Amino acid sequence: MTDDQMLAPIVTCTNVCKRYGAFVALRDVNLEVSKGEVVCIVGPSGGGKSTFLRTINGLESIDSGTICFDGITIPGPARNVGLIRREAGMVFQSFNLFPHMTVRKNLILAPVRARGLSHAEANERAERLLKRVGIANQIDKYPDQLSGGQQQRVAIARALAMEPKVMLFDEPTSALDPEMVKEVLEVVRELAGSGMTMIIVTHEMGFAREISSRVVFMVEGSIAVDAPPERFFNAPSEPRLESFLSKVL
Amino acid sequence: METTPTIEDHDSSIVDIVPKSARGVLRQVRQSLDPVSVIVLVAIAIGIYNVIDWSQIRTLDFGIIIKFWRPLATAAGMTIGITAAALACGLVIGILLAILLELRIGFLRYVLNAYIEIWRNTPLIVQLFWVHFGLPMVTGISTTALQSGLLALTLQSSAYLADIARAGIQAVPKGQWDAAMALSLPARTKWIEVILPQALKIMIPPLGNLAVSFLNGSALLGVLSVGELMTISTRISDYTSKPIEIMTVVALLYLAINVATTYLTSRLERFAGAPR
Amino acid sequence: MTLIGISEVMRSLPELWVGLRFTLLLVFASLAIGSIIGLFVCLGRLLGRGLLVGLCATYTTIFRGIPEVVLMFWIYYCGPLLGGFRPSSLSAALVAMSLYVGALLSEIFRGGILAVPRGQAEAARSLGVPEFWVWTSVILPQAFRIVIPALIGVAALTVKVSGIASTIGVTELVFEANVTAGQSYRYFEMFTAVGVFYFLILFPMSMIAKGYERKLVKRRK
Repeated sequence: MTDDQMLAPIVTCTNVCKRYGAFVALRDVNLEVSKGEVVCIVGPSGGGKSTFLRTINGLESIDSGTICFDGITIPGPARNVGLIRREAGMVFQSFNLFPHMTVRKNLILAPVRARGLSHAEANERAERLLKRVGIANQIDKYPDQLSGGQQQRVAIARALAMEPKVMLFDEPTSALDPEMVKEVLEVVRELAGSGMTMIIVTHEMGFAREISSRVVFMVEGSIAVDAPPERFFNAPSEPRLESFLSKVL
Repeated sequence: METTPTIEDHDSSIVDIVPKSARGVLRQVRQSLDPVSVIVLVAIAIGIYNVIDWSQIRTLDFGIIIKFWRPLATAAGMTIGITAAALACGLVIGILLAILLELRIGFLRYVLNAYIEIWRNTPLIVQLFWVHFGLPMVTGISTTALQSGLLALTLQSSAYLADIARAGIQAVPKGQWDAAMALSLPARTKWIEVILPQALKIMIPPLGNLAVSFLNGSALLGVLSVGELMTISTRISDYTSKPIEIMTVVALLYLAINVATTYLTSRLERFAGAPR
Repeated sequence: MTLIGISEVMRSLPELWVGLRFTLLLVFASLAIGSIIGLFVCLGRLLGRGLLVGLCATYTTIFRGIPEVVLMFWIYYCGPLLGGFRPSSLSAALVAMSLYVGALLSEIFRGGILAVPRGQAEAARSLGVPEFWVWTSVILPQAFRIVIPALIGVAALTVKVSGIASTIGVTELVFEANVTAGQSYRYFEMFTAVGVFYFLILFPMSMIAKGYERKLVKRRK
């Protein structure tokens, strides 16, 4: 179980701070994620989970601290953010598929433009990934013709098309109708099983317990608890975590 | 130095190329000047400098404005007055039309919609000539330039305002209608006390835009020599043979009036929305 | 009496046709040039910092806050100031209309770009797509679809404004209508005819724009 400790960390966040005016969104957040780990971030709304996740691939700026992603650091030269974004795949709560493009085009845009793949190669990759997430036959449809669960699976495939080193999930099932949550979690589970390094912000406690290597509890802008799932859920070490778990479980 | 996001910052992440912190130390210097801005501005400055005929500028005599400030000011007042009158009448007619449309009487809707579409989809200048030169031939009543101008402006504004009023009325929450019905308010009370005040509040922003539109439109009345700002400015230009100075000042006057109108509109919006 | 009037109108058709050609020239040229101006001003306002943003915002305020007729007169008379050339009525009108249309379009483009959901650009950027392609493949296509009704509105507005060029002597449709009406004294018939003609162009445009708007709203849901 703790083989991960022998693998080098691929994401290291040190003393990350962020403010919006007078409001402190993130205070001294420290997190290390090693290759192959699945880290779930849970906590009450407004606690900074999504904000923190978005600092990792530069969608949110940080006021102080450092983020080191596979050797690339922020703050640093302007192109670092672009480099990180190619290696980090992100899946959004609201899918954010490009509505004016077919599923196929959604998937091949980034590999062609960012990695310089040929259309043929990108297409082949797209077909392979869509088969993996289970919707190969929807490849030439438009996003608004698909259900929420299908759209989110396309979004996951789209992020995977860049062959990222780490996958970031920002509440991937929060905007889904309950009956579609399962199909998306299934894909995430398969992904975890295949050894992908993942950081997942989620409200799905059962799922977090099942697939994570570690679970992190974020509240009021900082990490209060960082522990393997058994210890996290069965022996909560923090009163705030205890009360949170009692409300959600 | 804090990165305090302004509204511009937060809403324009769509244009954010790289988060600001990644740029490091130079951020402070770059706050207001970045290479592209400077290059563009310098290019424009050089262009303007070379293109302007400076010798002519020296011969300009802006002093005549002082000589003619009174007629100019009066004419400006007339512009504002004409526009205000046209908009006020247009508003009343427009609201009436919107209410009539709301009643959903078959053929009446057809007629009213036709009226609105006709006056919205023809150029103001054509309407002006039609009212002033064309209409008297059919009705036998000849109108003065001012009357024609006011009539044309009023009719056009009533069409636009009917549309705005219709949108405003429909934007009043459905619950208000239900409440009025449940309280069995008479139609007159319902409209005057409940629906219209709320609709008017919603209508303020498009009304402000329309005011600017019609202030600019009123300048067209100059072709009929109505006596407002445009008329006076062409008269003075011809009289003094100094069109550049006069036209520049008049343009600035219109600009001032329009900017003031926009400002007043936003104050009005805030005032109308504030009490909560 | 009106029957005789209509035949008079028919007789003036050749002159009106000349006028119409000028109107079309004014409209299409100013839309084309205005689009380029509008695009630059819009991008300057969105992507620039500090001074450039202020400059673009000022441009928009100025050219929307001055009556079109005043602008045309000003350029006609002040032309000699810049470069010492005396603009013809047509070129003065063209420049004025282009500047005006540019101001309108810069506002519309800007509105369209800002209306594209933020998540779209975020998704594209987090995929590592280079900024150029984020704009050309993701943001601008969607912005364009959003502003089509407004673009049609601007085209309609340009047609209406073209009539103002008659005041500085451009021999477009309204000018010719005025001249021929003056010759035959058939003011009513002439201006009604011209009014109908404009209506037949502008009304369908307005209907198409509204239809498009309805389709957009439906798509959003």
